[in-house]
Amino acid sequence: MNDSGTRDWKSLLLRHEMLLLYVLVAEWLFFYFAGTTTNRRGVIVGFGTVDRQFDILRHSCEIGLLALALTPVILTAGIDLSVGSLLGLCAILFGKFWHDAGMAIPVAAALALACGALGGALNATLITALRLPPLIVTLGTYSLFRGLAEAITRGAITYTDFPAGFLFVGQERWLGLPTQAWIFFLVASGVWVLVHRTTFGRSFRAIGFAPEGARYAGLPVERRLALAYVLAGLIAALAAIIYTARLGQAKADAGTGYELFAITAVVLGGTSIFGGTGSVHGTLLGVAAIAVLKNGLACLPVVMRMNAAEEMSGLLTGALLLLALTGSVLPRLWSQWRAHRSAAALPSPKPHTPT
Amino acid sequence: MKSLLRLALAAGLLLTGTLGASAAASSKLVVAFLPKSKGNAYFISCKAGAEKAAKELGVELLFDGPTDSNAAKQNEIVENWITLGVDVIAVAAENKEGISTALRKAQKAGIKVVTYDADSMPDSRSFFVNQATPEGIGHALMDDAARLLNGEGEFAIITASLTAANQREWQKHIEARLKEKYPKMKIVAVRPCDDLKDKAQSEATALMSANPNLKLIMAICSPGVPGAAEAVKQAGKTGKVKVIGLGLPNENKRYVHEGVTDTVILWNTGDLGYLTIYAGVALAKGELKPGAKSFKAGTLGTFAIAGDHILLGKPFAFNKGNIDQFNF
Repeated sequence: MNDSGTRDWKSLLLRHEMLLLYVLVAEWLFFYFAGTTTNRRGVIVGFGTVDRQFDILRHSCEIGLLALALTPVILTAGIDLSVGSLLGLCAILFGKFWHDAGMAIPVAAALALACGALGGALNATLITALRLPPLIVTLGTYSLFRGLAEAITRGAITYTDFPAGFLFVGQERWLGLPTQAWIFFLVASGVWVLVHRTTFGRSFRAIGFAPEGARYAGLPVERRLALAYVLAGLIAALAAIIYTARLGQAKADAGTGYELFAITAVVLGGTSIFGGTGSVHGTLLGVAAIAVLKNGLACLPVVMRMNAAEEMSGLLTGALLLLALTGSVLPRLWSQWRAHRSAAALPSPKPHTPT
Repeated sequence: MKSLLRLALAAGLLLTGTLGASAAASSKLVVAFLPKSKGNAYFISCKAGAEKAAKELGVELLFDGPTDSNAAKQNEIVENWITLGVDVIAVAAENKEGISTALRKAQKAGIKVVTYDADSMPDSRSFFVNQATPEGIGHALMDDAARLLNGEGEFAIITASLTAANQREWQKHIEARLKEKYPKMKIVAVRPCDDLKDKAQSEATALMSANPNLKLIMAICSPGVPGAAEAVKQAGKTGKVKVIGLGLPNENKRYVHEGVTDTVILWNTGDLGYLTIYAGVALAKGELKPGAKSFKAGTLGTFAIAGDHILLGKPFAFNKGNIDQFNF
């Protein structure tokens, strides 16, 4: 009891987010030393360059946004598998509004955002009004949105030729950072405040812990759930616009598989897939850990020679997630084991050790 | 706990050392070769030629690409290569405009860029290694048809759709060649198959019953060739109505061996990879400059350059004698 001060300090250091931060730093240092070289012309190349750090930031914005979108949803013990497909649909709609309907870029973007929110609202309606499980609903809209995107373009049309002013958002730097990074940070701050500093955030957690309890406590459960899904749709549309600006093209396959990376980042960031606990900063760390791993691997000479950067990053992202999950339950198992041992007092013959 | 940490740190450093060391050793020119998708047999056969060239030139070859044809991933791979400081990037563009932003960035970083198979925007690369000009394809097909019919008789064309840009261009050159050199031959019909094998088969069947004097079917889209061959085979007209066309060796092997299809025309993909690497390396060494009129690529000899297109030259004819050497 008297050392409760050090306990707190210790538990802070062993918090999931802190552990993840250590992993991130270790990852970064490893790639810094193993993935940086001097090339033939005497230029320093590879992971340890400023350009590379900007590339990492640039490449993680879209998946990062989806992970931010998913954090409130998963906090409510829900899931949204449709965000990647919605990204694709909104990218196509944005391209269509601009190219075929001749709208100005800001108008097309605003309309695309509205469509994203509508897509989210469709999820929200099916989940709250019909009380259908989010997994099934969004599995449906996952196919629906992608199918719509493919139907609109007949799988063949790609919208390109966007004006330079728009491409600036995805390809250039503004105030020293990739332009889209500012948007990403803005959204991240917004979602952080929503989740950690408002009653909305508290109600997301409460719903995740016990939806019936939240209802009896007088929380407008349906409205809060709807908010989480509509917000997810809106952010997915924003990610679509950034994606289009980064590549200078909108195609129906935009964002394929992104939802899985985003979910991985959220769970890696310490948000329980069963809802109730988690944090936005954890999600951001999760996104960073995956992005650094993916980019760093591509710098390793060994991986380069095998031409297997993509496969390796998939494999190691999976391994990292499983490791993080195992790591997050270890302290609990450890304290259970200790409690068990002290309760059994002296010669407990065979304590139940994990593994 | 502490000792464990120290152990982990030591292991990490050791691993770092071993992995890092191999990179510094590379003082060779590094050429990065990007296919549309790396599992595609077509590009794997390009890679074989690229590897041969890299070996002859003593350069290091990196081969990486999306596992599926994904334009976004192509950009990410190019951006990765830029920060890795490779010397040459050779690209088969999945999306012309999308990839160009990344390629311009590479050029700004002092990397030489060539494209092959599918071009990017002209300002984003130095040269495009053009595997076949429409004229080359049109002439090869027409000449082969004339060879099989001894310059005389009726034939029909199966195309993708009546509006497809590539096919119309080829057809234009086929017709021009016909007019110029083979006055006794005649195109009796041009039918679209919508790039579907089934449709090509029914179109070919209809063509044969409507034109009893039909001697040959020329399919100028890849599903059309096996489709037409299947129709001829089922009609029992093998040898009486010949089939030629533009397509991939694998889907036509069976019909070529059965004697239904005589020639499948495409280009030699290995040579395409080989020429691309030679061009990229010559560019990096300053031996190949914009405005050059021809270019010598190792054992393959000299190639003509038209503007900023390096021409692979005549299409390659796959027939009974050589088709088994190719797998794509």
